[in-house]
Amino acid sequence: MISPGTALRSIVFVALASAALTFTAAAQSFKRPAPTAADWTALAKLPDFTGVWEVTMGPRPATGIINPAVGVPSMRPPQISLTPEYAAKRQALLANAEQDNQSANCLPPGMPGIMAQPYPMEFLLTPGQVTIVIEAYSMVRHIYTDGRPLPDDPDPNFFGTSVGHWEGDALVVQTVGFSTQTEIEPHVPHSDKMRILEKFRLLDPDTMNIETTVTDPDALTAPYVTNRILRRHRNWTIAEYICEQNNRNFVDRNGKAGINLTPPGAPSPAPK
Amino acid sequence: MNSATKKVALGTVILAGLIAGAASVAAAHHGFAVFDTSSQKTVTGTVKQFEWTNPHTWVWLDVPNEKGGVDTWGFEGMSPNFLGRRGWTRKTLQPGDKITVTYFGMKDGSKGGAFLSCKLPNGQEMKMFGASPTEDN
Repeated sequence: MISPGTALRSIVFVALASAALTFTAAAQSFKRPAPTAADWTALAKLPDFTGVWEVTMGPRPATGIINPAVGVPSMRPPQISLTPEYAAKRQALLANAEQDNQSANCLPPGMPGIMAQPYPMEFLLTPGQVTIVIEAYSMVRHIYTDGRPLPDDPDPNFFGTSVGHWEGDALVVQTVGFSTQTEIEPHVPHSDKMRILEKFRLLDPDTMNIETTVTDPDALTAPYVTNRILRRHRNWTIAEYICEQNNRNFVDRNGKAGINLTPPGAPSPAPK
Repeated sequence: MNSATKKVALGTVILAGLIAGAASVAAAHHGFAVFDTSSQKTVTGTVKQFEWTNPHTWVWLDVPNEKGGVDTWGFEGMSPNFLGRRGWTRKTLQPGDKITVTYFGMKDGSKGGAFLSCKLPNGQEMKMFGASPTEDN
């Protein structure tokens, strides 16, 4: 018969060994080496993406300058080709379009919609990473340029996991791992197999083009490609955006959208 | 279902699958579902309070009613982040300012709506929308 002490040591040993295996298999296992002085110097050779960029509305170029090498950004909103299954899901979402909108409760859009909000973005370039500070909803995207591979089983979330590299003057970024809680565009659903490819490139010293290609073998019959123009403002700073600071929009128990028009300081009406 | 109806039905399915991508929406936080965007209205009143907050600025306007009293109307505006880059500050509207507001009304008829523009006491017109300055680099 095994003594209680031996049994306990065996249990503890097995538990610790299991924990060690789980830890090394965890997603956060890539370790970036400490940056060298050469790494910092190398950043100066990259195209200058630094600063705060205005996200211009719609697909039209803000400055009217067209770089023939890049091509003409689309002048019309592009088409989204849904599979029959996802077209049906979209119809179901549109049946409640007016009433239910996840942004009424300050939930931010995921990718790619977070890159199309009418608020600026700030690009930070550091060794092994491009960080995009997004003013809308005070969000951040991390793009790893340190040579790590795309994860093969990432946790699904709003912005995915992004890995990028420089091809000449273009930053090319692949993103995978999206939660189906988000949408490609308002009321356009996607599957967990959605992938996003982005190409960031300067058209002129203060104009950036972002070409975004969304693919999804379950939801889309063709890639959905958009071009968006950003314009740099050297005197802009990223402002705070706390969505729940004074959010008067709501969706009631029946899914109907409403606005609280009770003036500040007046007693609130009884809840419906 | 005859063949003509079948063609219409098939066309509908194909069209449903092929939709235009949305251009970015001006009011990013939510849609305009609660507002009647078919016509613009105006109302004159006295500013009670101007809230310079996210996700929306709010203009609270005291408007005389038929009973000889005053109702406080609420107008939802764009984010201060957006307005601050287009000539607005948190001091643009002061309590006591008499202004005329152009707005989209509420579908349910309640007192308020989506703020579009207003005329200040000095006659200047302040708009919610419009391009950001181009020559500030």
